[in-house]
Amino acid sequence: MSLSLPGEAARPREGRRRRGGREGSALTPYLYLLPFMALFLVFVVYPVGYGLFVSLHRWDLLAETRPFVGLEYYRNLFDPETPQSQFFWNSMKNTGFFTLVSVPLLIGTSLGLALLLHRPIFGRAFFRSVFFLPGILTVSVMGILWRWMFDNQIGLVNAVRTDLLGMQPLPFLSTEGLAWVPIIVGTVWWTIGFNMTLYLAGLGNISQSYYEAAEIDGATPWAKFRFITWPLLAPVTLFVFVTTVLASFQLFGQTLVITAGGPNRTTQSTIQYITEEAFSNNQFSSASAMAFLFGLVMLIFTYLQFRIMARDARGEN
Amino acid sequence: MNRTLTVTALLLAAGLGGVAAAQTQTSYKGPKVTLTYLHGFTGADRPVMERLIAQFNAAHPNIQVRAQAQPWGTTWQQLPSLVASGRAPDVVVINEDQITNFIARGAVSPLTNAELQSAGISKSRFYGPLFKTADYEGKSYGVPISSVAYVMFYNKDLMKKSGVTKVPTNRTELLAAARACTTDRSGRKPGQAGFDPKALNTWGISLYNNWVGSRLAYAAILQNGGSLVDKNLNASFNSPQAVEAVQFLVDLVQKQNVARPNSTEEAELAAFSQGKVCFFPSGQWYLDRFEQQKMNFGVAFVPRVGTKQDAAWGGSSHLTLPKQRAGYDANKRRAALAFVNWMTSPNQNLAWTEAGSLPVMPAVANNKKFENRPIAGVFEKLGNIYATSGFPWGGQVLGPFDNAWANAYSGKQSVKAALDAGVSEANKQIQQARKTFQ
Repeated sequence: MSLSLPGEAARPREGRRRRGGREGSALTPYLYLLPFMALFLVFVVYPVGYGLFVSLHRWDLLAETRPFVGLEYYRNLFDPETPQSQFFWNSMKNTGFFTLVSVPLLIGTSLGLALLLHRPIFGRAFFRSVFFLPGILTVSVMGILWRWMFDNQIGLVNAVRTDLLGMQPLPFLSTEGLAWVPIIVGTVWWTIGFNMTLYLAGLGNISQSYYEAAEIDGATPWAKFRFITWPLLAPVTLFVFVTTVLASFQLFGQTLVITAGGPNRTTQSTIQYITEEAFSNNQFSSASAMAFLFGLVMLIFTYLQFRIMARDARGEN
Repeated sequence: MNRTLTVTALLLAAGLGGVAAAQTQTSYKGPKVTLTYLHGFTGADRPVMERLIAQFNAAHPNIQVRAQAQPWGTTWQQLPSLVASGRAPDVVVINEDQITNFIARGAVSPLTNAELQSAGISKSRFYGPLFKTADYEGKSYGVPISSVAYVMFYNKDLMKKSGVTKVPTNRTELLAAARACTTDRSGRKPGQAGFDPKALNTWGISLYNNWVGSRLAYAAILQNGGSLVDKNLNASFNSPQAVEAVQFLVDLVQKQNVARPNSTEEAELAAFSQGKVCFFPSGQWYLDRFEQQKMNFGVAFVPRVGTKQDAAWGGSSHLTLPKQRAGYDANKRRAALAFVNWMTSPNQNLAWTEAGSLPVMPAVANNKKFENRPIAGVFEKLGNIYATSGFPWGGQVLGPFDNAWANAYSGKQSVKAALDAGVSEANKQIQQARKTFQ
């Protein structure tokens, strides 16, 4: 057949060689996978299965009976009369709010910083390090720092308000709504360096020839950003977006240290509430049910993001 | 002179002799056993504990204690599975906020009167409420080894400057002293024309919004004859006595203007260190800090703002014997009880106070070593310290209680409404928790 491609004829030979030669039996790849498979079974499949078992029983390690209760703990989460439903959905709302506000900030500010620090300005390496450094702090150090900054009475922010501007102090840590300010500002300060570094790497990969050509055509700086930088940074932006959204959903340490979830649970994150239900209230089945529901929501989000990423890889974006 | 010396020497010898006799006396005469001992003293208290264990091992050739120190939280997570799988340590230290839960879940075994007696452990040696912290449904489950408490620090310099000569011990005195300590930025006192409560320069007492702040409300409720839970162990911190007690505290900030509104523990701590506030109620654990700052301060028992009794909050650690699998060596249990007795004897408890603990028994509190220390100011009333214990649903009660205090203190809700909401939430959670304990 004259229409057949050259590769087709070669294929059967390759197949024979693969089966017979020094590349081993069909089992070989599975043997390579075995160590990972073992770890995966022990540390992922088994705990997930056990967690599911716990969520379907009234479970306590020390109890003599662990009766099967079916979906009782899941139903509790949809029964408005139970505190579990009230606090779980409240914590989901809080986590969602945090994600919605912090993700655009985390992407926007890190991109802005990267654009500034990509240019050959004086002290560039110094500023890059300065913005990256907070990221190496533990969440407790970061949390205490921002709690002090925004303290109702002795915080630096309120000191500036009262002593320099002659205003009344704002009780940031104990006012609903305002309590988000130290958490979000602190998170941006804390994690901006990592995203900035990714953007700097992305910017470094854009060929200067595009900009030179655009300059010859008389493009404005905004046009250069809009038509060259932004589209060519799209893969980086997607990666940053996906990782930042997932990290924001896992909000825990910042709210725990800065506000302890207060006032009135208005800054309590979902993971924080699940931890409270498990280890403070000793309601492990209820906490497991919440964890599964939360996991399901995360899974849906991740799936949607993968869809977007796949579309991007095919060049449809 | 000579006579005084002789008398002192005789007294000392008598005292030491008694102690030595108590120490060599051990109830365990069986074959050599090895005990495992799990505790959470991992900080500056760790070397003190290790020294005591080494002393015990040296003095008891037929009992070897192998200790393991790990963070408390790790122990709370591991203990259930250790007990369930029959691999529990022989002795475990459990804190007051966890102990009733572990008792109710059956992780800890009761200590019978006969056992306590034969091991030489006498309940009457300890402060009563402290020992009862580890009691549940009429049985004892642990012996106190360590204790911390809520106290009231006072700044002597600012009190003197404000003309306060006596540390307040009741409601009237507290209010009067707090008013005397309060001035606004232009030097006016509460009640004077033009007094600006929003710009306090110095003030009477520190109130603040976190769980430590809410322990003052706990003390006030107990002092008024109220409690956190009723006899069925349902939340009841909205009783008329409780509302009245908490209202007095909230009025200090909202009506009397002798405390700062919307404050945090850090802010009040800083203000007290800087001499801006006369009375700072908090945990006795700040003692070291104020001593290192060379502040001119004193420590007093929380003033009686209620009408019934003296009371303050306390935290404690208890030596417990976890439930073991069938066929557990009876010698080990006897040896473990001998270890518990030795560790909680006056001499060892005196050594343990170096780790920052308060004495757990009057015999130690009376020691001369404390005479000139600021903390001695609360010793007379150490028997009036009450832990938040006795109900298995600690988190379900204390979480809503702390939140109710924060709402009442900040003025977000009236005292009655805040406490009612807290009780309602707590009882819904207790109702669910009960199912686990059936």
